Amino acid sequence: MNEESRLASLAEVRSRWSALERDWQSVVVGVTVVALVSLLDVHIPWAWSW
Amino acid sequence: MAGSSRLLGIAALCLGALVARLFSGTIGGNHLLLAIALGFLLANTVGVPSRLEPGIATHKLWLGAGIVLMGASISVGAIREAGGFVLLAIGLVVVTTVVLVEALSRYVFGLTDRLGSLLAAGSGICGVSAVVAVAGAIRAREEYVAYAAATVLLFDALTIVVYPLVGDLLGLSGQVFGIWAGLSMFSTGPVVAVGFAHSEVAGQWATITKLARNALIGVVVLAYASYYAREQTSATGEDGRETLFGSLRSTLGTLWAEFPKFVLGFLALAALSTLGVFSAGQQASIENAYNWLFLLAFVGLGTEIRIRQLRRTGLTPAIVVLLALLVVSSLSLLLVSVALPTPAVGP
Repeated sequence: MNEESRLASLAEVRSRWSALERDWQSVVVGVTVVALVSLLDVHIPWAWSW
Repeated sequence: MAGSSRLLGIAALCLGALVARLFSGTIGGNHLLLAIALGFLLANTVGVPSRLEPGIATHKLWLGAGIVLMGASISVGAIREAGGFVLLAIGLVVVTTVVLVEALSRYVFGLTDRLGSLLAAGSGICGVSAVVAVAGAIRAREEYVAYAAATVLLFDALTIVVYPLVGDLLGLSGQVFGIWAGLSMFSTGPVVAVGFAHSEVAGQWATITKLARNALIGVVVLAYASYYAREQTSATGEDGRETLFGSLRSTLGTLWAEFPKFVLGFLALAALSTLGVFSAGQQASIENAYNWLFLLAFVGLGTEIRIRQLRRTGLTPAIVVLLALLVVSSLSLLLVSVALPTPAVGP
């Protein structure tokens, strides 16, 4: 993918994202986190050790 | 450019969340209340730099996303057990608040009818969001919207401090405290904050109760829109007839437009969790994720509490809302304590 088409698709994603209303954006963020955790087994910690 | 300033603000929220988490772990204190305090300090001392504002304004998005994820920790069985009572209590509280604020505004304190309606919607349903939604439907003047929004924000700030104190003083169980906060406080952010500041159980009940209450926003907007439209029609002598199909379509359209969509995400995750889709480890990660998202959201929420803005609240609207809050809050606490006297498990 060349630079120009990459920028065009980024702009498309951005305009689709801003067209979504805030409530639906919240659902998209929630679904993304669930997908990361359940499909890719990403572990999200609460406490950390130094 | 807009994207990079949004990223800067989001980075500031992340930094605030990390600091609140770090401080609560070392010096003690509740991390959620610390996050609100950090945002409050920033906004009321040096002020929020304008280049951070677009990113900080995303805090409601993180709150919504956190609530969606919270669905994964909810057991549908527990909701079913207390759900009937909670729904009945929500109906009672919303009707009592709206009628009481309307009556006090119009007949005792002589406020204009539209300002009274904005105050009633803000106190009865979901704070500033309800004020804005109803203002659009009844064509309220800008200054009324500003007055009503400032009054709601003033009580959001007060209840964030007072509710946890009363909860500790009375030794309320998590379920009773959560349902009480969800029934009687105004905006969603402060309800979730004081709920989780009390306990995990209280936070979950507070959020569920508040979400169910928020879902009534469409009904309230419709009721006010048709009341003021009828008033306008009878004043101008216009013929306000509409076909049955057209009226039904616009009613359903309004209900859908005002419905908070993240409730659907919350319900979908609650259903998946009840079906046992998530392992214990995944559930723990999702729980951690929503705790982090709440921290981001509450740093932003703290920045919304501006002392200068609160000073603009008119005394009369504040007295009206204070009286209604005292009555509704006491009655709902009594109702919840009598109906759910035993310490119960979380949802």
